[in-house]
Amino acid sequence: MKTLTQIPLGTQILFGEGARQRRRLEQLIYSVFDRWEYQEIIPPIIDYYDVFSKGMGAESEDSIYRFVDREGNLLALRPEFTSLVAKTVATRLQDWPKPLRLCYSGDVLRSETPRGGRQREFVQLGIENIGGERVACDAEVVQVAMESLQRVGIKRFQFNLGDIGFFAGLVEHICLSDQDLIKIKKLIDLKDSIGLQNEMERFQLSTQQRKALYSLLHLTGNSQTIDSARRLVSNEQSLLALDNLAALYRELQRQKLAKHITIDLSEVRGLDYYTGIIFKIYVPGLGFEIGSGGRYDNLLKNFGCDLPSVGFTFFLERLMSVALK
Amino acid sequence: MKSTERISVALPKGRLLDVILRLLCEADIEMVSYKLQSRRLVFQDKSGHFQFFILKPIDVPTYVEYGVADVGIAGRDVLLECQADVLQPLDLGVGQCTLAVAGPKGTAQADYRELSAVRIATKYPRITTEYFTQRGVPVEIIYLSGSVELASLLGLSDRIVDLVSTGRTLEENGLEIIESICKISARLVVNRASYQVKRPAVTNLIKRLTDVSQKTACPTPKI
Repeated sequence: MKTLTQIPLGTQILFGEGARQRRRLEQLIYSVFDRWEYQEIIPPIIDYYDVFSKGMGAESEDSIYRFVDREGNLLALRPEFTSLVAKTVATRLQDWPKPLRLCYSGDVLRSETPRGGRQREFVQLGIENIGGERVACDAEVVQVAMESLQRVGIKRFQFNLGDIGFFAGLVEHICLSDQDLIKIKKLIDLKDSIGLQNEMERFQLSTQQRKALYSLLHLTGNSQTIDSARRLVSNEQSLLALDNLAALYRELQRQKLAKHITIDLSEVRGLDYYTGIIFKIYVPGLGFEIGSGGRYDNLLKNFGCDLPSVGFTFFLERLMSVALK
Repeated sequence: MKSTERISVALPKGRLLDVILRLLCEADIEMVSYKLQSRRLVFQDKSGHFQFFILKPIDVPTYVEYGVADVGIAGRDVLLECQADVLQPLDLGVGQCTLAVAGPKGTAQADYRELSAVRIATKYPRITTEYFTQRGVPVEIIYLSGSVELASLLGLSDRIVDLVSTGRTLEENGLEIIESICKISARLVVNRASYQVKRPAVTNLIKRLTDVSQKTACPTPKI
């Protein structure tokens, strides 16, 4: 039987130096989380499928490993932590003083073809900040992520910071099917200007909407990007998103962290649960982001408790390839 | 981060390469030591800002996805087939052709939707499967790596799916287009992280190529 010796695709085994390095990285980053008073939470590796599918969105839920237990319930292997943490807070920690600061580290599983620096089983290490003030907590989360990187010896890094509310506001008044919305998001994500132009012709858009959507591809840079974006829109949600982003940027500037920030409003990729700021972390010399995060103000509502939240996660295997060098 | 940073460019050998080199030349990017007959696979440009790799077309997106090459040029056919996660900021408008379903002349009218499973030979198993299954047509894919026309000619398959530019190869082999799947042209692709951390250099390249590809303006292909 070949299955006795073969390992399943997308899994890996660490030992010796690799295992030591992973443990050490985890400890170093945890020491930063600890300093910021984030308490560890260890959620189960399985939960009901709905817990995850609700927040992840139609595109990503295909990658969830699911199975039926003896009682006929549809369960899933955790594909991420945020939904699990959100559920726990909404149900068990409702009455705890806010903001709640929680951190986690562990395997997640996604049924995807292993490529682009990702396996089917990989480690996420991150924090969630729940029930606090918007800008202050956004800034704190970014700050914790930056400090963690510095702690593991990564000096050069770039945070691409956007606010999904800007895009959401832009498309809010356009009558789009879910399918079309996914398509447009994908084209913006790929910076595919031709594809976007062609696609936009199918919809009835005002000149302003057309111009704003198209300009989105290039809304990247320093804080002036926020001002250019402001001139493109008049809807409330987009403007609010820009106000938030500007406030966060000022706060990061005050802490002398803005040099690591690139404002990027074309960053629309990510799980469905994000509602506000989103960011991706890049380091020179690695072709993929090593972490990502954002604000998810509506996720806890799914579990019956309405609390604004923000968090981020590192992809530990990717971090290992650039850290402690 | 500095704008003088060098960026590496993956280029596809084969039908597109000459056109691309001309385009680069017009954009003032001249390769040193590149000769058509040469076997070398790595080149630099005169300014030293760029390094070029010459790869098999199907491998270009992979090198770019992993960031070994910051940017690359690949046909849309290759991008659709290999599904690499790369940014696609620019259509260069060169290398235009059509990805099409073809079969022996005079069989176009025979409605293959009635058959149980159509046997189709192609270099593009993924695109072909998707195209037919989306239309509810059961297919049996025969993967071939070249001379796909022959498969239909000799009866290995009912149909083929392949690139058609002038239609001459089909014509000379007694085949004709039955349906066109999509328009193809060469695209500039960029690694996600390089696009962010080498932004000035990458945007500069995109701008230069946009300018020259607009000059040689062919109408932009529609899906």
